[in-house]
Amino acid sequence: MIECLSCGRRQQPQLTCESCGAPLGVDLDCFAAFALPRKLTIDSAALERAYHDLSRRIHPDRFAQSAPRARDASLRSTALLTRSYRTLRDPIARGLYWLELHGQKLAENNKAVPPDLAALVFQVQEELEELRDANGSGAQRLRERTMSRRTGLEQSMAALQGDLAANFKRWDEGGDQAALTIELKSVLSRIAYLRTLIRDLDRALENLQAA
Amino acid sequence: MSRILGIDLGTTNSLIATMDNGVPRVIADPDTGETLLESVVAIAPDGAVRVGRAAIELEPHLSREKDGRVSAVGFPGGEYGAVVRSVKRYMGLGGDEVAPEEQSRYTFADLSGPVVRFQIGKRAFTPPQISAEILGALKNRAERALGEKVERVVITVPAYFNDGQRQATKDAGRLAGLEVVRLVNEPTAASLAYGLNKLAEGNVAVYDLGGGTFDISILSIKEGVFEVLATNGDTHLGGDDIDHALVDWILADLPEQVRTDRHVWNSARRVAEDAKKRLSEADKVDLQLELPGHTIRKTLTRDALEKSAQPLIKRSLDRCELALKDANLRPGEIAAVVLVGGATRMPLVRRRVAEMFGRDPLCSLNPDEVVALGAAVQAGVLMGTQGDMLLLDVVPLSLGIETMGGVMERLIHRNTTIPTSVTENFTTAVDNQTHVDIHVLQGERELANDCRSLARFKLGPIEAQPAGLPRIAVTFLIDANGILNVSARDERTGREHSIDVKPSYGLTDEEIERMLEEAIDLGEQDLEQRLLIVARNDAEQILGALRKQLGEFAGLIEPGERARLEEEAERLDAARRTSDRDLISKLVEELNELSTPFAGRIMDFAIKQALEKKSVEEVS
Repeated sequence: MIECLSCGRRQQPQLTCESCGAPLGVDLDCFAAFALPRKLTIDSAALERAYHDLSRRIHPDRFAQSAPRARDASLRSTALLTRSYRTLRDPIARGLYWLELHGQKLAENNKAVPPDLAALVFQVQEELEELRDANGSGAQRLRERTMSRRTGLEQSMAALQGDLAANFKRWDEGGDQAALTIELKSVLSRIAYLRTLIRDLDRALENLQAA
Repeated sequence: MSRILGIDLGTTNSLIATMDNGVPRVIADPDTGETLLESVVAIAPDGAVRVGRAAIELEPHLSREKDGRVSAVGFPGGEYGAVVRSVKRYMGLGGDEVAPEEQSRYTFADLSGPVVRFQIGKRAFTPPQISAEILGALKNRAERALGEKVERVVITVPAYFNDGQRQATKDAGRLAGLEVVRLVNEPTAASLAYGLNKLAEGNVAVYDLGGGTFDISILSIKEGVFEVLATNGDTHLGGDDIDHALVDWILADLPEQVRTDRHVWNSARRVAEDAKKRLSEADKVDLQLELPGHTIRKTLTRDALEKSAQPLIKRSLDRCELALKDANLRPGEIAAVVLVGGATRMPLVRRRVAEMFGRDPLCSLNPDEVVALGAAVQAGVLMGTQGDMLLLDVVPLSLGIETMGGVMERLIHRNTTIPTSVTENFTTAVDNQTHVDIHVLQGERELANDCRSLARFKLGPIEAQPAGLPRIAVTFLIDANGILNVSARDERTGREHSIDVKPSYGLTDEEIERMLEEAIDLGEQDLEQRLLIVARNDAEQILGALRKQLGEFAGLIEPGERARLEEEAERLDAARRTSDRDLISKLVEELNELSTPFAGRIMDFAIKQALEKKSVEEVS
């Protein structure tokens, strides 16, 4: 139980006081910040509306003329709300956070390449190597190859995001936690790899443009 | 509580605005009717200050006198007093960050410290002190216009300002005796002014090319919530750069020593600025720069101007692309493009921006005033008079810490909505370690050395324990101003840790306190006493210069001239030992007039000599 600094009401920790609506400035998990049940499937439009509504009520701009203690609570609650919104809005960040809530995380630095991605990773690195050394007319052809490779990776990424959404749904339906955890880790680790590859491609293309 | 006003502290011009019954309005000077205050500050050797147009008159430049001669006038810098323009470019910079080509423009006291200092008279002034004079002039203007005290303000800053530049702006407010309730990003402020009238909704891009800085911000405006999705920019890209390129072109045929002469350079800058403005309407302008005994005449076409501006605009458009990418939007998904800043009056800028976004940009609000109007709207939000309106801004640059091997570990990514916080756990590396050093960085590069150092923190003292056992949770919180606050807590004991902060750049609290005390001292000095000191300094300056010139350029003196000059100098020398300020001033003026032809001949000679030397070099 905590006490509201503004009106003194004792209550369970939450974002705003149930009695006077003042931000309480306490730390909460991302779901609790939005008073959402711990479910992985989230309606993004509803989340955005809730974020705007809550921000309107607790943002430091609303407390510019208040006492320092109230200003401080507003600042901390808004920082929490913003962080929670960022985490829940993005399915990948949400999945990683879910693992964390269950005392799990992706392997340190995600070093072990998923076996079926190993060949792909190797090939992309090789193509990038060629692109970096390329010059003249060959560069244009290699650039086009890199662009189409990028499109391919984007498609694989979209498929993985479908897998992620399906995994989320099974969690929410009360599936087997141990099996779902392994699956979630596997999907997220692939996504992380693809994301790194796409970022590397973008950097190489940017460098090419700059040169 | 007193009302909150909005200030646009610009590189070229500054303005102050207020809300009147829900409508933002720029406050005009009640005496002159002016709304823009030129961001130019003149400081005399004794510390007497002038701001705006009065300061521009004292800027070193060449002036045609009654007798037709062109002579050098104004405060030349250093011990003779200086006129600082575009001080915003120096806000938050360390001495080592001043670009080499800018080093000749002013006399700097020290270029090795954590803060740039201008040497003026016997004192050194930091950029926040000089900015504080501009803020003070605006405060004074608003107080005269409104008939009430002004204590609380919102000040706008470029969205791409880093932590140090923001902190310096807050320091300037404090030095001007103002409580800075909030710093607001300039493009965001502009969007508030447009959004208030529903002139722009949905995904909006704000392209802000000011005198010294460029910002691009992409916002989503929805039901009164102004959410910044991404921002990018360059704090050293603006209309000034186009002027400087023109100056180089105008002076191209002159030798180095004449080109870098502050009088010549500034006069050329004035000509360039004027030509640039005229070319927004005309296709071709004639310009001329009068030097002693030599007039430079050139014709500038809009094509040529656009050619020299092209690379700068390209740089700004590259930044727009990055911002769009970070916002995850394509140009076609932008519903409105807003233009801000005087430099967006250039037709080329309008054309290129329209091409990039595939639509004509909005410019129905005056691009010089829109930021100040938006600052007033945000002041209204803070006073609670703007209903449901809310601004959600972002941090422009990633924040992180230096880890093993000099790598930057990002804790808060750029374009994260603020306020935001992140907590990181630290422990010790060796047994009984009593302190942990943390180096905070800002920037997008991988290596700590390539990022900007923000501050160093020392955590501790930590109880003697085996390595790895202590757990200290450090919270990095970026507030709604985009400024970092750090706190630390021992996870085992729950005790708050003290943190010893060493900002890498900028002023410490103690330094600001001292400056405030000095300012009060100066303010309390008897005005008459100060004016006497100014007059004596003027006398010393002209006597010293004349003595030197009579020795060095004896060959340029006409018959009888030396005797006349020396006689007048003696009278002034005697007068300056008295307290008769009026007499000293009168004699200074007389001697100045009497020596003008001689000074003109010296300048002629210097230029001729320099030109001859150049042509010899070219031949050989």
